[in-house]
Amino acid sequence: MTNSTHHEPPAPILQARGISKRFGGALALADVDLEVRPGEIHAVVGENGAGKSTLMRILAGIITPDSGSIRVGGDELEGGPRAAIDAGIALVHQELSLVPEMTVAENILLGAPPTTAGFIRSRQLKSIAREALDEIGVTVDLDEPIARLSVSLRQFVEIARAVARKPRVLILDEPTATLTPAETDYLLAMLQRLASKGMAVIYISHRIPEVFAICEAVTILRDGHLVERTEIASTTPSAVIDAMVGRELQLDLQVRRTANPGDVVISARGIKAPNVNDVDLDVRAGEIVGLGGLVGAGRTELVRAIVGADPRTAGTVTMTVDGRRTVIGSFQSAVRAGIGYVPEERRVDGLALTMSVSDNVALPNRAELSRASVLRPKAISAFVRRLADVVGLRPPAITRDVGEYSGGNQQKVVIAKWLGRKPDFIVLDEPTLGVDVGAKAEIHRLVRELADNGAAVLVVSSDLPELLELSDVIHVVRDGRIMGTLAQSEADEKTVMSLASGETLVGA
Amino acid sequence: MSRESETLTETIAVASRPEAGIEKKRFSLLLWMADRGVIVFTVLLILAAVIFIDGFATLPNLTDVFYRAAPIGIVAVGMTFVVISANYLDLSVVAQVATSAVIFIGISNEFGVFAAVAVASLVAMLYGIVNGLAVGFFKANAVIVTLSTTFIGLGILRWLSGGSIFFGPEDGPIRAFGQARFGPIPLSALVLLLVTIILWFVLTRTTFGFAVRAYGSNKSATRLAGVNTTAVVVGAFVITALSAMVAGFVLAAFSNTAVSSMSDGYEFRALAAIIIGGTSVFGGKGSVLRTLLGVIFVSVLTNILVLSGIGFGFQQMAIGALIVLAVSVDALARRAAKK
Repeated sequence: MTNSTHHEPPAPILQARGISKRFGGALALADVDLEVRPGEIHAVVGENGAGKSTLMRILAGIITPDSGSIRVGGDELEGGPRAAIDAGIALVHQELSLVPEMTVAENILLGAPPTTAGFIRSRQLKSIAREALDEIGVTVDLDEPIARLSVSLRQFVEIARAVARKPRVLILDEPTATLTPAETDYLLAMLQRLASKGMAVIYISHRIPEVFAICEAVTILRDGHLVERTEIASTTPSAVIDAMVGRELQLDLQVRRTANPGDVVISARGIKAPNVNDVDLDVRAGEIVGLGGLVGAGRTELVRAIVGADPRTAGTVTMTVDGRRTVIGSFQSAVRAGIGYVPEERRVDGLALTMSVSDNVALPNRAELSRASVLRPKAISAFVRRLADVVGLRPPAITRDVGEYSGGNQQKVVIAKWLGRKPDFIVLDEPTLGVDVGAKAEIHRLVRELADNGAAVLVVSSDLPELLELSDVIHVVRDGRIMGTLAQSEADEKTVMSLASGETLVGA
Repeated sequence: MSRESETLTETIAVASRPEAGIEKKRFSLLLWMADRGVIVFTVLLILAAVIFIDGFATLPNLTDVFYRAAPIGIVAVGMTFVVISANYLDLSVVAQVATSAVIFIGISNEFGVFAAVAVASLVAMLYGIVNGLAVGFFKANAVIVTLSTTFIGLGILRWLSGGSIFFGPEDGPIRAFGQARFGPIPLSALVLLLVTIILWFVLTRTTFGFAVRAYGSNKSATRLAGVNTTAVVVGAFVITALSAMVAGFVLAAFSNTAVSSMSDGYEFRALAAIIIGGTSVFGGKGSVLRTLLGVIFVSVLTNILVLSGIGFGFQQMAIGALIVLAVSVDALARRAAKK
């Protein structure tokens, strides 16, 4: 831990001390300190789930910490978003929170438009909005509805909205995720300009080169703990990544399989889709291919485009099983061809929560479980019982609504849906997100068994140990492209993180 | 450093999910009301009617209740498919019933009953497919689409029929069908029962009905289970349209006449029966048997109001108020179930 008392003036504008936060029983932040000086661009870095966004939401008063204090300009900050805004903290959200139907000017002053007796003073509204846009040097028609702007322009409008409040501390959470390199350069220059006028900027990014380009200091979080706070001048990109990844590699190498890949089952060529840029990908029978990368890198979009869950703008996917070649178009054709898909958001895309376990598992298998389109209840019951046993559903009450089960059990139900089809190719997107340890181990076992039985398996995971333990080969995705491919023997947390964050230490 | 707490995800999982189990639901009375309330209320209502309302428990009155319940019931049972598929309702049943009735009498008079049934079937299929494609394929809002097809349908009907009333021959098969009774039970009530049984089977025992329920519960997950969701929605609207067609036959046969305005208000009465029966407007949960119960409740209630000399205006108000109550309980129960 660092103690920052040796920092010379100017006095910090923001001082957060001993911030802790639990969600349910889970520790999200443990005794974290953050200190930012006026005119400083301060990076907060860490892996997915390190607690960065939670910390920022606490600073912005959106969530209340369990303990700890926040001082802005020396004054204790009271709770709630209003108090944070009044104290001069402005958060630019990771997800865009603009109203698409309203104009640029209306969005910039959303929530606090200038009024007289309840009527919006539109001339003043526009002049304030104009001023905020000038401040960040962006030209855009104030009367244009947000819906007509590009995603990156919307990002800048979002920033203008924060700047319009004339904040003392501006927080940006992954602002460059949706920007092109040129736009990113512009944004970084803009932040430096704002900082030079005395604004403190907290900059959250996975992209280490950006951090080293503009920040003066960096706070590194890992698993909800503060690892280190250091001046950029006195560290190196490699040291920062080390600190982010931190833990000694304790991979359970015994569980690693000796892969024995067969023929190529899935061959994706020139795949393009929103946030996916011209990807080629092969998966062989009996092989587990891992897709690593940061959240927002385009991995989910890529796998959805491959299985036809979302439309592709270009590219072809062919599947070859026992010499029979099928072109995969729609998702229905993918399922018919023997593809299984365990989606990232199981409660949205994976399960009908108000239906029973039995119904959910039977749904993709309904043709096999019926005769002349009439369902066979006994066959369904036997089928689902067997699969509930295979995946280890607890309790195995298959007539209960899926929504009543815990996350781990729900995920087992999603996997059971597809296991029943004996898929030749299965995609699992974040298969153990929000799942307890026991279920996680069981899900890993199921994934390995699928591959051992000859299925081609594609796993997306932001959980690095999981990715490293499961995968026979790892493709690291960034900006919708495969930036590098690592064999099991050469993959470790650092090589994956380096490729994922753009700090390219290794090529492939 | 132990394996157990290596990542935050694991830490969260360990702390918050000590053992895989099933969470207990709160708000059990509310959930019970939303689920089973209609059974109790229907029984209570009938008991109250028998005890307190003069002339309720008489054969002529009960026969009248059945006659009036049958066409609305048939529409409601069919439309249950659209509600369960989470597409709100099919307003155009009002046009479908009238169109079917006019075709049934009008074309029978010229070309015979079989021709009439054939034409009516084609028209019903067309309604189902147009509504179903607009909602299921183009993802248009079901309320707006069916409101518009009501206009189109009634417009065409009034244009072609000139708004005139069609009368069937006094001794024709339609008249015989309309008058047929088994004791106090008219044939039309048996048609309602038959349609209910058939559609109960389709909804609960076929792959199509299964897909309708799944789609209503979660559209995205159903699509991502490989289901052809457009076919599911079109199917739900086709079943609704075919039911409305049968209801049109029954309604026309009852009075042996047909006119374009004869089914006014059916869409709303059918919806009342479905929602009061306990089928959720959020989709996924419900059954045609519940709708049948809802039809009985609404019919008995209306009959009680009529027998008590309470005017049509009050009846309308009462049904409107009941729907507001029922959908509010449904919404509350849904929120409670999520807790």
